[in-house]
Amino acid sequence: MAGYVVRRVLIMILLLLLLTAAVFFLFSLLPADVARLTCGKICTDQTIEMNRMRLGLDKSVLEQYWIFLKGLVVGRTFGEGPAAVVCEAPCLGYSFTRNEPVLDLIVARLPPTIFLAMGAFVLFIIGGVSVGVYSALRRGRWQDKGVMGASLIGYSLPSFFIGLVAIYFVIIRWKLLPFPSYVPPWEDPVGFVQTMILPWVVLAILYAAFYTRLTRSQMLETLNEDYIRTARAKGLPERVVVRKHALRAGLTPIVTAAGLDFAGLLGGAIILETIFSLPGLGSLAVSAVLDPDLSILVGVTLVTATFIIVANLIVDLLYAVIDPRVRPS
Amino acid sequence: MATSEAVEAPATEPPEGPEEIQGRSLSQIAWGRLKRDKTFIASCIVLLIIVLVAIFAPFITGLIGVDPYSLDKEAISSSGGKPNGPWGGASLDHPLGVEWGTGRDILARLLYGLRISLLIATTATFLVVILGTLFGVISGYVRGFTDAAIGRFMDLILAFPFLLIILALSGAMTQRLTDLGVPEGNASRITYLILVLGIFGWPYLARIVRGEVLSLREREFVESAIAMGASSTRIIFREILPNLWAPILVYATLLLPTYIAVEAALSFLGVGILPPEPSFGAMLSESVQFFQLVPSYLFIPGTVLVIVVVAFNLAGDSVRDALDPKAVK
Amino acid sequence: MVKSKATLAIGIAAGALVLAACGGGSSDSGSSSPSASGSQGGEASSSSEASPSEAPAPSGDGQAGGTLTILSPAEQFLTLDPQVVYTGEDLGFLGATIMRSLTAYQVMPGDDEGTTLVPDMATDTGTVSNEGKTWQFTLRDGMKWEDGSPVTCEDVAYGTSRQFDVGLAEGGPVYAVTYLDIPVDEEGNSEYKGPTDGTGQELFDKAVSCDGNTITFNLNQPVPDFNYAVTLGFSAVPAGMATGPEYADKPMSNGPYKIQEYAKGKGGKLVLVRNENWSPDADPYRKAYPDSWVVNFGIEESVADQRVIQSSGEDEYAMVQGITTASLPIVFEDPVYEARRIDAYDPYTIYAAVNAQKVPDQKCRQAIGVALDREALRLNAGGDYAGDFADGAVKPNIGIDYAPTGLWDGLLGQPVPPTGDPEFAKKLLSEGKDCPTEITLDYAQSEDNDKAAAIWVESLARAGITVKPNPIERGQYYGVVFKDGNEVMLGGWGADWPNASTVLPPLFVQGWNLSQVDDKAFNEKVKAASVELDRNKQATMWQELSKEAAAQMWIVPTRFGKDQRLAGTKVGPIFSWAAYGSWPYPIMYAVQ
Repeated sequence: MAGYVVRRVLIMILLLLLLTAAVFFLFSLLPADVARLTCGKICTDQTIEMNRMRLGLDKSVLEQYWIFLKGLVVGRTFGEGPAAVVCEAPCLGYSFTRNEPVLDLIVARLPPTIFLAMGAFVLFIIGGVSVGVYSALRRGRWQDKGVMGASLIGYSLPSFFIGLVAIYFVIIRWKLLPFPSYVPPWEDPVGFVQTMILPWVVLAILYAAFYTRLTRSQMLETLNEDYIRTARAKGLPERVVVRKHALRAGLTPIVTAAGLDFAGLLGGAIILETIFSLPGLGSLAVSAVLDPDLSILVGVTLVTATFIIVANLIVDLLYAVIDPRVRPS
Repeated sequence: MATSEAVEAPATEPPEGPEEIQGRSLSQIAWGRLKRDKTFIASCIVLLIIVLVAIFAPFITGLIGVDPYSLDKEAISSSGGKPNGPWGGASLDHPLGVEWGTGRDILARLLYGLRISLLIATTATFLVVILGTLFGVISGYVRGFTDAAIGRFMDLILAFPFLLIILALSGAMTQRLTDLGVPEGNASRITYLILVLGIFGWPYLARIVRGEVLSLREREFVESAIAMGASSTRIIFREILPNLWAPILVYATLLLPTYIAVEAALSFLGVGILPPEPSFGAMLSESVQFFQLVPSYLFIPGTVLVIVVVAFNLAGDSVRDALDPKAVK
Repeated sequence: MVKSKATLAIGIAAGALVLAACGGGSSDSGSSSPSASGSQGGEASSSSEASPSEAPAPSGDGQAGGTLTILSPAEQFLTLDPQVVYTGEDLGFLGATIMRSLTAYQVMPGDDEGTTLVPDMATDTGTVSNEGKTWQFTLRDGMKWEDGSPVTCEDVAYGTSRQFDVGLAEGGPVYAVTYLDIPVDEEGNSEYKGPTDGTGQELFDKAVSCDGNTITFNLNQPVPDFNYAVTLGFSAVPAGMATGPEYADKPMSNGPYKIQEYAKGKGGKLVLVRNENWSPDADPYRKAYPDSWVVNFGIEESVADQRVIQSSGEDEYAMVQGITTASLPIVFEDPVYEARRIDAYDPYTIYAAVNAQKVPDQKCRQAIGVALDREALRLNAGGDYAGDFADGAVKPNIGIDYAPTGLWDGLLGQPVPPTGDPEFAKKLLSEGKDCPTEITLDYAQSEDNDKAAAIWVESLARAGITVKPNPIERGQYYGVVFKDGNEVMLGGWGADWPNASTVLPPLFVQGWNLSQVDDKAFNEKVKAASVELDRNKQATMWQELSKEAAAQMWIVPTRFGKDQRLAGTKVGPIFSWAAYGSWPYPIMYAVQ
């Protein structure tokens, strides 16, 4: 097992290196002038030239990549003389449109994204799995059919459509909630919940539909297995059979999917953050696209991708713990 | 896994495990099942109508006497550009109302938007099927180093926050395509969308196909073909590919509606189709401004979008159930 | 045509604003505005809504205390650097709070009253001598920076000198560079390189000198309205303070407020709190009623509108700097909002620049303008709320420099209806030499502009011209079109103060010359008008030039813009400040 972990971690590090390289390569495919994408709205030849020099864009892509990697480990200084900017390790780059290190910007934007992801995650896992189990236990009856139909529709709803519909009814028509305006929970818990509740629910509906279906199919499969029959034959109460045996055995794919989805959510729910005016990673990325600020884009892309890669690793390791059958050689 | 919310639901691969494929009679069995499946018949009829309407959009709009581009200043108020009358100025001339500020016909724009949406989604799905099958078969059949390399490459692609990348690269890459000779304007925009969706979409299918191929390789008929000294090409085309169509078909039917939603999401964020061509996403994105006064701007395209996506999902679900030998129906 | 780097910079700043204004993100927009006497001509001004000049004057006195909030769709201020700020809204707001200048505009309703020059840091509006080539201002006593140190004459000189630092002040106004008596090299760049570089410092010190509390500016030409120019980029910065690009985020305040927090981006905000070192005795101009100001960034426009419309809770003290077209009927068709809404002319002329390099023939350019359905464009922008049909670059609210050009009433040979005249356009096309039948339309992408582009496509198709829309990312728009603009580019411009010298030269000679006009005869006439000391004679010259430019169709003027705003129920006073087309920031208060 230890060897397996080490090997997977090594592969992950390799993957991260490849990923940074890929991001660099992708963005160097950008049009003629990358420097122009670094200076925001007021962009003149001077700024462009200054940024080109500060960012070392006159160097080859490979060299730039090496400097970037070094910056991650030991930090780096952009430019020289009085105009120089120091970016301490781990340096993900420096935004010249906002005069801040990219990492600081990302860290400042993480809380709303994390809150959104966690709240929605709890809702959709609990909701999705319990409804899925319920549906499986009533297989073929009207409850099951109703749940399946509803989840299929939930699965098909585009997030921006249901987000907008939610705003239309809950906020504009029924005036149940104020317009979303994010405040950190430690400043104003009530305002925080009022802002987050809609995006949580919307996100949860979208994802819960999938988990309902996944849980249901897993349950149906395991409920047919011999050991479940044995358990039932032993006279164990149905609740115990379902919880201790069936659900547990069917858990692996759910954990896999959940881990990856959570990581994906940490990358920022671009559309929902846009619709609900949440100052998270997703909206940071969108403004970086519009600004344009390439440094931020590269930073956000890398951080998001890292979340996903790390989640992949964790899921794989969990997988081995939960289900000894798949433990690798 | 690059789960983006634009995919509207976790983009984790469909949960079914390797399917037991029982020779060629499966298609007959499946067809027999499908013919008795009312949901399937119903959703197919809806889909048929949608596709026909999209294909014959110019004819239909011509019949009603509207088109998606003509301005109608009579239909809107001269003081603020607001459509005259409720429901966005719905009338005999404009059955679903007109656009705020220009008086362009909503129905016509909807139908033309549907056309482009379907075009992009089907082509991108086709591209995914080609790429996914190709890499999946290579990976599963050749195994060894090639398999590992393709696997890591897929991990890399899946780690990309793909919605973000599409946004970030759209301007630059569209320009590149124009430089490469694709006509500028919508031709290169559409090409870009199809390419990006295809390039970031194939790994999911490739994983499924790889799994299938791995298990097929162990089957007697393939082993005996190998033993008889058949060439790899022959084995792949004669023995393996014919057994892959079921999972591929299922995946494609489920992917298509996802892409319709993704295309809408991208236009929603402003990187879709160029004006004056209409698109779902742009219509929905614009509705945000107006939906307090003209909620139909939100609900008309939104509902059509949901109907299209649900119909595809229902059909895809039925196909999957029909092809699943274990399904109890 | 001299096209120094500095000139490009100005254009970008000013244009960016206007762009934002037209592009639906009206908040951080607008170059500084002028507007002066002169009523709006044309029937469209008979909009049903009360114009600001008819609005009731602020009743009674303001009340001290509380917090006023601005809901902004922008993600940040373009800049807080006093030498770089160049948008009307920002000049109005920052000038009222943290950034004083030598002179300022009176804060009153009305076009004339709101653009009357009054002293701010100076004790009067300046003394002119030497036939308009020397200006002197005496500073008030007792002014202090937020750290308690006194504001000196040297600080004003230092701030002014920062305009010469191209790396620092790019995008800001360049009137110091243009007018101060400092030699230029062959390329037209000043020989003074700014305080950081220091090259040519003695040249600057000769042009700008301090004698106790009195600052003297020596100019290279007579500038009768130089005291207006000092509202742009002449603000003080603590002398000798090392101020790099980061000063744009952390400026030192000498106004009644100072920055407590400045976080950019969606969900970010600027928080201004009282500057304890500011003394009302040294500043009769600002009322400084509220205890603090908050600017919330990245609020979706329609959401911002809704919040102010509902005006509940803290939104009672909120205001928006523009209203989306969709919210206009809600706000303007219900008398409930009458006391807290504004409908006024803004400083901008909205136009489409026709690239004179790509469409060199005058008849071809005219054909484009004649074919265009300006009525549809105006409707799309909000109909009566969007403003009047424009007949040239110079807007009526500039005052005496405006006279109708008759562009659409026969100047081209026959009248052109607002819907365009395809037949006439075809005739012009056939008369013109090598007229392009396929043109590309550059515009900054937004939903409204997407629809405007569709109108261009439709209406020019009637005359047989194919239009290819080319949307460009908003943030990059002016950068792109100044480099490689296509045949037609959408844009907007507002005067810096009530003189067409801040309109015609930038648009058609240098500064904001999107159309790439290079007409020697025209340049000569502009030069002559610029140095004309007789104001009435100068006005006549500008009127002639405006007519000539209109007939050339270097720009297709589509609209003299209007601007609507709304504030919460506890915000006062409600009127449009003509100087900047903004809220009357220096005298605003929160009802307690």
